[in-house]
Amino acid sequence: MIYRAYVVVCEGTACVASGSIKVRNAFLDEIEKRGLSEEVKVMKSGCGGTCELGPVVVIYPDMVLYPKVRPEDVPLIVEEHLLKGRPVESLILHEITGKVVTNMMAYSFFAKQHKIVLENSGRISPESIDEYIAQNGYEALARVLTEMTPEEVIEEIKRSGLRGRGGAGFPTGMKWEFTRKAPGDEKYVICNADEGDPGAFMDESVMEGDPHRVLEGMAIAAYAIGDVKKGYIYIRAEYPLAIERLEIAMSQAREYGLLGENILDTGFNFDLEIRIGAGAFVCGEETALIKSVEGGRGEPRPKPPFPANKGVWGKPTNINNVETYANIAPIIRNGADWYASIGTETSKGTKVFSLTGKVNNIGLVEVPMGTTVGEMVFDIGGGIPDGKKFKAVQTGGPSGGCIPAPYLDVPIDYESLKELGAIMGSGGMIVLDEDTCMVNIAKYFLEFTVEESCGQCVPCRIGLRQMLNIMERITNGNGELKDLDTLETLGELIISTSLCGLGQTAPNPVLSTLRYFRDEYVAHIVDKKCPATVCAALYYAPCENACPAGVDPARYLSLVAENKIPDAYYVHMESNPFPAACARVCPAFCEKKCNRQKFDEAVAIREVKRVFADWALKDAPSWEPPKDPRKERVAIIGAGPAGLACAFYLTRLGYLPTVFEALPVAGGMMRVGIPDYRLPPDVLDREIERIVEAGVKLELNHKVDNLQSLFDDGYGAVFVGVGAHTSYKLNVPGEDMPGVYHGIDFLRDVNLGKEVKIGNKVVVVGGGNTAIDAARTALRLGSEEVNIIYRRTKDDMPAFPEEIEDALEEGVKIHFLVTPVKVLGDERVVGVECVRMETRGFDRGGRRRPVAVEGSNFVVEADTLIPCIGQGLTAGLEAQQELFNKWGFVQVDERTMKTSIPGVFSGGDAVNPATVVEAVAHGRKAAVEIDKYFGYEGVLPVPEREVVQTSYDEEAYLVTLPKSQPEMLPLDERKGFVEICKGLKLDQAIEEAKRCLHCDRPPEEIEEEEEEKEKVEKVEIGSG
Amino acid sequence: MAEKGKIKTLDQLRKIREEAKKAMDIREGKYEYKIVVSMGTSGIVAGAREVLRAFLDAIAENGLSGVMVTQTGFMGSKTIEPVVIVEDKAGNQVMYGNLTPEKAKEIVERHIMKGETVKEYAVRAPVE
Repeated sequence: MIYRAYVVVCEGTACVASGSIKVRNAFLDEIEKRGLSEEVKVMKSGCGGTCELGPVVVIYPDMVLYPKVRPEDVPLIVEEHLLKGRPVESLILHEITGKVVTNMMAYSFFAKQHKIVLENSGRISPESIDEYIAQNGYEALARVLTEMTPEEVIEEIKRSGLRGRGGAGFPTGMKWEFTRKAPGDEKYVICNADEGDPGAFMDESVMEGDPHRVLEGMAIAAYAIGDVKKGYIYIRAEYPLAIERLEIAMSQAREYGLLGENILDTGFNFDLEIRIGAGAFVCGEETALIKSVEGGRGEPRPKPPFPANKGVWGKPTNINNVETYANIAPIIRNGADWYASIGTETSKGTKVFSLTGKVNNIGLVEVPMGTTVGEMVFDIGGGIPDGKKFKAVQTGGPSGGCIPAPYLDVPIDYESLKELGAIMGSGGMIVLDEDTCMVNIAKYFLEFTVEESCGQCVPCRIGLRQMLNIMERITNGNGELKDLDTLETLGELIISTSLCGLGQTAPNPVLSTLRYFRDEYVAHIVDKKCPATVCAALYYAPCENACPAGVDPARYLSLVAENKIPDAYYVHMESNPFPAACARVCPAFCEKKCNRQKFDEAVAIREVKRVFADWALKDAPSWEPPKDPRKERVAIIGAGPAGLACAFYLTRLGYLPTVFEALPVAGGMMRVGIPDYRLPPDVLDREIERIVEAGVKLELNHKVDNLQSLFDDGYGAVFVGVGAHTSYKLNVPGEDMPGVYHGIDFLRDVNLGKEVKIGNKVVVVGGGNTAIDAARTALRLGSEEVNIIYRRTKDDMPAFPEEIEDALEEGVKIHFLVTPVKVLGDERVVGVECVRMETRGFDRGGRRRPVAVEGSNFVVEADTLIPCIGQGLTAGLEAQQELFNKWGFVQVDERTMKTSIPGVFSGGDAVNPATVVEAVAHGRKAAVEIDKYFGYEGVLPVPEREVVQTSYDEEAYLVTLPKSQPEMLPLDERKGFVEICKGLKLDQAIEEAKRCLHCDRPPEEIEEEEEEKEKVEKVEIGSG
Repeated sequence: MAEKGKIKTLDQLRKIREEAKKAMDIREGKYEYKIVVSMGTSGIVAGAREVLRAFLDAIAENGLSGVMVTQTGFMGSKTIEPVVIVEDKAGNQVMYGNLTPEKAKEIVERHIMKGETVKEYAVRAPVE
């Protein structure tokens, strides 16, 4: 029968689970109905690797992949694609960018893959031996039996460099040789198909998609080893489909005389038996596996003797994993040299990984050894979903470790992974993003190994349990710093004293997270904080936990929902005295963690805040200065968000601090860095006024150059909040020419109302908020053409995404992967010579590394150049060199904001240029620490936290309700520096606040409520 | 399975392979000749489906391998429907128009099997 088209439905386990059998039946019905049964063949395949997209259907010969097919899509696909020849674009696979993939081979997920083990998976019918033979199946076995001696086979495998794919990486050829040379005339080969790592399904897919490949590899091994009486495939009962396909394959092979007696008429005998295990993790260990094959309890025993000498039934036994056997036939067919040409120096060939976790393309991936972690995650995996930040990958499952962002450029092979404290393992690769708590994930793997320990060795049975107890304590907020040493000591002990691979590797996840993410452990222990907002015992609500300043939106949202505007304002003031400024410029860390976005969209927390913040600017009563102030005097240098926050909270602690500001205006970067259209000066001035009223003495135009003079004047403590007001230089020729205006200076001059002259054609350099602010300011000053050039890609831009969008909307053009090399002109700037960049690998910061493309120089015409590539401290405190670190910023202990000089504290951009809210957090923390420095308690007068009760009908808001959007100034009115965002109206804000899911309610309360409800219901039923 | 019984030699194995490959090659888009049938609504009305079937039948009757039959949408000229393009693996194309099942059979026998362009049914490519 000649068919003109094939509908290949994936029936790997993942696709079956998502409904592929129904889809296949729908195709059969529809094709029958349309009278196409004689022209179009419907068939099933094994796993093609794109498991996240199941049920997957591929139409050949067009190579069009339809993902997530539902039975109701089938009539349209048959009508349009199979009958009329028009692929249904709306249903075809597309890239994350939205680009339709018309030929699946061009899909980015497949582009960097190199398929040897998986060459047939998803392509051939796993239940047809003929199709396997069509792809050169059993050719290798036939050649080995007729043309090669066993020694030659072993030599070929040794030369190929193939190493065991089960995890340990022992050279396969050597293992075969040991077994061949072992005395005895009754030997065995075993295939270890006891794939046990959570989330790993490489072996399962090979057996389901291309079972004959495993049989052929085992038969070749049996021939090479000699005197093999039988082969066993040890497979877990959880893999029924793989077992079924293997059984079909075995009976087909026997029928063709490729298994059994006198194979290919050469006198060679070999047959196989499937042994089904109960899925104990420890049975993946070879000596435990052997016991289980023999029918005993799966417990490991000491080695030596190794299975090569004493294996199943006490006879020499060769054990390899599924993927190892799957590599044998191609090596024989194509030669050892071919195989050895793929991969790295010590690790040859390819490796199959199951790529899962927080990555866009989830599935089965086969890549050459030496592919970097970054290529796996960002090229093949398509990066992290929802614009989140990459944190680490966990390789090797519960026996492995993590690889953090600085190592994205490390090539994956046995040695490099081991060096990093991770292992290849069987190929599980779990991608973790910023929302993953590393302490929690290590605890998860430990729970798994505690559960799976066979209990034979005391260190593993008791030691792992001890480690888990400690981990549970830490994640509950009851950890102590000395626990970390205990974990390390215990871990090392368990590794060195356990009998088998399970115990010897089980502490790895804890040890490796301790190695790379110790600060997260310390945050759990010392700060009682889970930075990733995972460990529920350590926070009230995700929004509150995400705020650097610890502002508590969960409470103020409920208060706004109840129209208690002043109360909401006072909640905010407990942690942050700049609600009006933050309502306009904060990147809203709270909203990024809002649980509501898992349902529809995050609550518009920042816009709700603006309503009570703006109320307070007009109507809130003044803050009273301390009645009976403390006698100690505190000087604060710099009236930015850090300094003023420090000052405000000092007044609440009973001080009357003095703030010295070098500029003629207060507010720091909020005033002279952020343009007026984002934060109007009158709003900021009023907010600062309120802080001053609380008992702060503000001295403008007063630059402090020497800390000692302050101490001499009688100040007992000093807070250095000088900000970072000096632009970094590009360090290219011509940078000092007229027409070059450095970003921070430019924004400051405009904000201070100085007469600023810039040209018509402006080039801004940089990708941060300063670059965006400078570009939009230039437009408002009348420049006709504003181009931003940035040396990295769009995804790497540190500027806030909404600011970038606004800039583009207003007409700013952004050019990526371009950097300036020279400013052109004689007396004035006439242009900028630039060079194009390309990305090559990843840098230590986890971003793609830009590299200049030689000879790609080109000139951009420009009369003004504004470099915005970062900022540092302005000269002024040279006398106190010991304050600074090697990057020129003030060095502090981030928990106390103490500098190396007693009595001197610091925070804000002077420590690390970041956001307003982070500066506020520093200032508040420093105020508390200053109080302690003077010998007091350091306790702010803040009431104990109570959950805010609400009276509105919360259930009415548990339907899809989009986030409220504030009114924005229309584009054609954005000429001057008028504020763009107009905020929400009061009634809008109240409605928006009601969308809050109240994550801060303790679980007991919910349970109680439900119990109450149940009682009521019972009474109702009873009385009815 | 193509044929029952045990495989005794490498050659027998390779013979099974050749047979099985033929079917798979078409699936994977490898062909000697490709026949593209225009299956827009007007083409179907004019009898494109019958023509497509006739091509498939003729290929099967003659035991040909390496011939792919596929379809596409409307090619741009209603006046010459049903219309097909015959393309060899080098990419040379001939367009045939006003086809019937009988003409399709003839094209298979002459063009595909003998490599001769069937001039009397060939049409000029419609102007875009």
